[in-house]
Amino acid sequence: MIADRVRAIWCRELRRDEIADDDDFFALGGQSVIMARIQGAFIEELGVEVPMDQMFRNATVASISSYIESLDAVAP
Amino acid sequence: MILQGKRVALPSAPVVHQRFEAHAKATPDAVAVLCAGERVTYAELNARANRFAHFLAARGHGRGAKIGVCLDYSIDMVVVILGTLKAGAAYVPLDPSYPAARLQLLLGQIPGLALIVASRATAGLVESAAVEVIAVERLPGHLAGLPANDSDVPVTGDDVCYAVFTSGSTGTPKLTAVRHEGWFNLMNWLALEYRLDRGSHNLVVSAFGFDLSQRSLLTPLFCGATQHLMASRNFDAAMAYRMLSEHGIRTVHCASSTLYLLVDWETARGGDALSRLDYVLFGGEPLKVERILDWARREGNTCTLLHQYGVAECTDVATSYDLADYRPGEHDIAPVGRPAYNTDIHLLDERMHGVGEGEYGEVCISGASVGAGYLGGTGPESERFTTVMVDGVPRRLYRTGDRGRVTPAGELVVAGRMDAQVKVRGMRIDPTDIERALGRLAGVREAAVVIGHTDSGEAELIAFVVPAGEDLTENDVRTRLLETLPRNMVPVRFINIPRIPLSPHGKVDRPALADAYRNQYAHSGATA
Repeated sequence: MIADRVRAIWCRELRRDEIADDDDFFALGGQSVIMARIQGAFIEELGVEVPMDQMFRNATVASISSYIESLDAVAP
Repeated sequence: MILQGKRVALPSAPVVHQRFEAHAKATPDAVAVLCAGERVTYAELNARANRFAHFLAARGHGRGAKIGVCLDYSIDMVVVILGTLKAGAAYVPLDPSYPAARLQLLLGQIPGLALIVASRATAGLVESAAVEVIAVERLPGHLAGLPANDSDVPVTGDDVCYAVFTSGSTGTPKLTAVRHEGWFNLMNWLALEYRLDRGSHNLVVSAFGFDLSQRSLLTPLFCGATQHLMASRNFDAAMAYRMLSEHGIRTVHCASSTLYLLVDWETARGGDALSRLDYVLFGGEPLKVERILDWARREGNTCTLLHQYGVAECTDVATSYDLADYRPGEHDIAPVGRPAYNTDIHLLDERMHGVGEGEYGEVCISGASVGAGYLGGTGPESERFTTVMVDGVPRRLYRTGDRGRVTPAGELVVAGRMDAQVKVRGMRIDPTDIERALGRLAGVREAAVVIGHTDSGEAELIAFVVPAGEDLTENDVRTRLLETLPRNMVPVRFINIPRIPLSPHGKVDRPALADAYRNQYAHSGATA
């Protein structure tokens, strides 16, 4: 499941134990610097480069996961 | 104590767009702007900007008028900016990443706002009953058949070219105006001092509302080079780094915190696109030099790093320092160097007398770069623009509120503020502005905002809230605040407290709150 891997990255970078699928990144206190680290982690760990504008537009685990799934190019 | 910038003669009418027009004549087929695979030559860009200038003139918008620009980076944005200047008017950048409520507040503070240019994507943010909003997608229709010759509106160095919103200390953002002479002087200094020319291709990496973005946007067009724009509303390190590698970019202007992100990117993944730039011109906030020093000293790094200081009220940049001169043992803080051409730095005490050698004083700026002041402003902030006598001659001067001293080598060092204002990721922030927004939320009786620091030393905003009834929850307060404030003005922590501590003078006791945060809350989960 992409969503599990995305959630693990969010939890690590936002320093939270739990994040729900529909929690908003910015409501969780996320900022652009953290978003940049998550973008890097997606490249390293999932093998996908997600444009920053998409990261801002899809600011929940559920939403960004389905965006990534739609790219159909995730590294195992 | 005065640091004097070199005196360099300017043309009798130092008007920014005329330098661009000269390039359009000399190198009409050179590429002026590249964005998302589209390109425009100097001649085409000049013709389109001229049509926009004629369009404005036909509607009666000329000298003194303000044109709001709420657009994402695009070739059309550059057309609108240049056309506005050619018409003798000034543009006001309106950052489309801001919430609509914030943009509406800003719109109400633009005297002489004549027109807003938006796009289909941004028009909803700046809808206005008071002023016409035109969609950039409809520009071709508006401009068809209009003449493409250079506008002959007389423009002087004293006319306002742009105005940007800055933070004050009164809880409302202020609109500060820059004059053509100041902007021309700034770009002329960069071009001559650092030999920027037709080959100095630039990539814009900063958000449109910043003063530094205005300089980043126009400098390559002032020098005859190619401007590269990212089709991204938010800073995108992956996209930026790829463009640096693939497009022969030579210069980048950015906030220090953006430079850290680019350095981290290159360091983590290898590559040398950043290290091989001619220049990164950066600053805008206290530099954490250890974030970049290892990278900067790495073998093969040939990029000249210019650590710069300035304020929006005085055309963005006042001083510049080559970081190659930095010696960790010698300097506790990285200097910001020596003044721009035709710009002087004064270090003054509270009676407006010069301080002694090596002593701290308030950094004040005089010379060509001093702006036209706050538009529509008669508040206490306007008194920061004042006149002093230097050798019996009156000089217009701006008091920045920054504390500084001069090193024995004659370089300016800036160390903090004289007041509570702070910088967070390059943006000047007035805590009372945020307190006011918090105070308007239902369930909040009172609020105070102070500065904390992350483990890596970066400034972050901490809010203390006094609930009107039940304790407030962090996510709820933050979500509601995001509807009215730009993201980087929204605090990272919200802490419920029973009352706001006051100093003996009855003001918010910020030091006490900052101490309380450091000692009690910074490493606990006891937040709202």
